[in-house]
Amino acid sequence: MLVAPGVLVLLASTTFPLAYLLWQSLQNINLGMPGMDRFVGAENYVRMWHDARFWGALGFTFVYAGVTVALQLVLGLGMALLILQIPRAQWAFRVAAILPIVLAPVVAGLFWRTLMLTPDFGIVDFAVRALGFPSQNWLGDPALARVSVIVIHTWQWTPFVFLYMLAALAALPADLHEAARIDRAGAWQRFVHVTLPLLRPAIVIVVILRTTVALSAFAAIYAATGGGPGTATEIVNLYAYRVAFAELSLGYGAAAAVVLLALTLAVSVILFRVRRAS
Amino acid sequence: MRRALLTAVGAFLLAVWTVPVLLAVLTSLKDEKEVLAFPPTVVFEPTLKNFAAVLFGPTNIVPNLASSIVIALATTALTIVIAVPAAYAFARLKLRGKTQLGFYVLATQFVPPIGLIIPYFLILNRIGWMDSYRGLVLIYLTFSLPFAIWLLVSYFEDIPREMEEAALLDRANRWQALWHVVLPQARGAIAVTVVFVFLNAWNEFLFAVVLGGATVKPVTVSMYNYINTEQTQWAQLAAAALVAMLPVIVLGITAQKHIVAGLSAGAVKGVSRR
Repeated sequence: MLVAPGVLVLLASTTFPLAYLLWQSLQNINLGMPGMDRFVGAENYVRMWHDARFWGALGFTFVYAGVTVALQLVLGLGMALLILQIPRAQWAFRVAAILPIVLAPVVAGLFWRTLMLTPDFGIVDFAVRALGFPSQNWLGDPALARVSVIVIHTWQWTPFVFLYMLAALAALPADLHEAARIDRAGAWQRFVHVTLPLLRPAIVIVVILRTTVALSAFAAIYAATGGGPGTATEIVNLYAYRVAFAELSLGYGAAAAVVLLALTLAVSVILFRVRRAS
Repeated sequence: MRRALLTAVGAFLLAVWTVPVLLAVLTSLKDEKEVLAFPPTVVFEPTLKNFAAVLFGPTNIVPNLASSIVIALATTALTIVIAVPAAYAFARLKLRGKTQLGFYVLATQFVPPIGLIIPYFLILNRIGWMDSYRGLVLIYLTFSLPFAIWLLVSYFEDIPREMEEAALLDRANRWQALWHVVLPQARGAIAVTVVFVFLNAWNEFLFAVVLGGATVKPVTVSMYNYINTEQTQWAQLAAAALVAMLPVIVLGITAQKHIVAGLSAGAVKGVSRR
């Protein structure tokens, strides 16, 4: 009785549309030609198999998720360890860390695109030129644009990992560290042999959370590059969106979304296995 | 020496996190021509005309703010009404298949939004709910409900059972126990959930840009008023973004202590209890 409304809403709003998505992915639906839908079976998937652009998007999805999660973890943990050394200033970091987290990703993307990375007056370009390097086309050059969208995501979400790690570190038992200190273990040894193993559960959880979010990233890349230049910063998410709504091939886009869905589920299951094993 | 180094690194980190927002504040107070000055001016005559333009000008964002408020409030209200009893049941009742049901609710959180947007586009088109409040609120429930249920379950489980059991012995039914005993103790938990659901609904972009339109255009989408034309209106874009972000920044800093616990509630608390 108490659970029923919630589960019913989720069935209607999530499971039914996903079943419909599967059905759509087996059809040729073109938004430019309404009423011409027809069932094509696995044709969309076969086409995707031969689509170099799809493979490019899939490859960049792995790079994007892998690199952003690794960076967030290393930077966030590093920052937390550092800030723990200056207890009096901690509140400032806690408040400052909230800013990127609550900023809408589309606004974060727009801020970086306009105020930070515009070649003529963006602050990053200004800094680079002040250091004597030539101005760069940060979002217009394919390789640089990939780096830029990774930097934007990392900028926005490292504070989350930082706050999470700060809490996890505060919850660690202090006496273990003391014992290691008495045994004359150096700072690095204490970190590797005492802190890191104790942090492992927290790290696994953060990796699960951040990976699933990174796989579904959309708004910040959309705002910063729109997936371009060309298809350089397309992750599968953006690829599916552009195919479905810009190129109007809804059925083909649905097939790409199914692949992303399967990928996200697979990654979540693998990560949860790791979590249970640890 | 070590202390100085720490302070320097700390200051650098603070700068990195806050610079884009501080730049937006500076830019929003500049004249449109001054924005393009090089090197960037730090000392200038501040003007409020960009804020005036985004609030009262011909391309003002007031209707968008109104849309966002309606959507975020409606989403939040519906979510709470549905999620509170569900979370209570998960936390307290012995149900058959509870673990599986709980896992189902959790799994819906990992569905990538693009997987929902494509079917919703056709479904809403067919039933005539495109560019409507009910359409967007319905789809926002897909991500706010599982999140709120799990967040609340983790809080409900921490509430002691004694008072509630006393009430049940006095022949109160479960609804009465929930309403009169649990809810008063769960006020804080519900407040936190409200903050998060509101924040997520306010910041949402993908669903809004595809399923919204002329009538329902949340404020995140309205940012494109200032850049999709021939040229970017930098100062107005910055002002509009700041106005749009003010509510979530205030909410975020108010709920600062709960933010991380909230954002990780679904996956962490949920699964760790199973």
